[in-house]
Amino acid sequence: MLGSILSQYARTLSVFAALLVIVLVEVLGIREAIYPGLEGFFNWMNQSSWLGVLGTTYGSVYATVEAVHLLSMAVLGGAVLVTDLRLLGVIFRDIPSETLVTGTHKCFRWALLMAILTGIFCAAGVANKVYFMEVFWIKMLVLFAGSCFMLFIKQPFLTSRPHAEIDPWMIRLLAITSMLTWFTVAATGRWIGFS
Amino acid sequence: MINELLLQFGHWLEAQQYSQMLVAGYYSYSWLEATHVLTLMVSIGSLFIIDFRMLGWVMPNVPASIIAARLHKPMMVGFAIMFITGALLVYAKPVETIQSLWFRMKMILLLLAFINAWIFNNRLKGAEGNWDNDPVAPKALRTGAIISLVLWCGVVTLGRYIPYDWVDCTNTTNTAILWAAGCVDQLNAL
Repeated sequence: MLGSILSQYARTLSVFAALLVIVLVEVLGIREAIYPGLEGFFNWMNQSSWLGVLGTTYGSVYATVEAVHLLSMAVLGGAVLVTDLRLLGVIFRDIPSETLVTGTHKCFRWALLMAILTGIFCAAGVANKVYFMEVFWIKMLVLFAGSCFMLFIKQPFLTSRPHAEIDPWMIRLLAITSMLTWFTVAATGRWIGFS
Repeated sequence: MINELLLQFGHWLEAQQYSQMLVAGYYSYSWLEATHVLTLMVSIGSLFIIDFRMLGWVMPNVPASIIAARLHKPMMVGFAIMFITGALLVYAKPVETIQSLWFRMKMILLLLAFINAWIFNNRLKGAEGNWDNDPVAPKALRTGAIISLVLWCGVVTLGRYIPYDWVDCTNTTNTAILWAAGCVDQLNAL
């Protein structure tokens, strides 16, 4: 009985377990204990890793990768908006929401992958600064939570059954959560540039 | 001649009270810049989804004309916000922006992107037939989509270059760059 319930909600439970770990890491003071140890890694990323050296030596390369990062975020935003505005019934009301949920997901995954890869390069170039920025860690946390939410909760849930069988408020809640999450990721990213 | 006129215009804008207020405000310029960049997700995000559909990369089972028509409004709202915030960003730092080589190149690409969008729209309206449900649009529309992607990638990249000072008037002595960037004082001093 318990086994069948667990297997049915394996992904959801995994995400909740990951979130629980994050909360415990914070509550038990593990983050505070780990944080100073990460400074060496961030300094190495900035000064010794080839990503950091490339980013700090060649400003034009850094700026170009930043542009690719922005473009990836734009595509990601487009895919999220198309899906979520349809789930909220704002646009594409004449197209089944199931079609858009599956049709944009590949685009979302590629954009997310590109954003993460270019984001690592950008972070390496200023690693010795972002390490001390609270907004950077908030972005990382929201990015991690948002990726888990999209890949392990929202998408599997919305593709598991016809949307007519799902409570409309649940669908709206998923769409709003998704839009807020990715807006926060983009906004905190922009704020890193100002800090 | 045109560079002198543009520089005079820049100095006139810079002397305006609201221009100085935008730069002097602790958050005003940052908020403008953040809004300008974040709106990319709406404007260019929607535009790229339309272009990707024409190329058959996303939602090939949804009619292309429906995607283009339904995304038109959010895309235009996004572009309207981008143009307003972009104009205010120029208004806040007019001389610096007018004398930026990257800004000038960005404006040229923007103009080309709009000409391409106009041609693309006309082709879309003229390309009636049974292709709408095809996974890939006809060649003329695919070409327009690829040109659109390339031009907008260029616009975003050049926009990203603007804050960098590699070819600022004070950092180069190359006559061609000084002329292209409109560095009137530096050219006169040579």
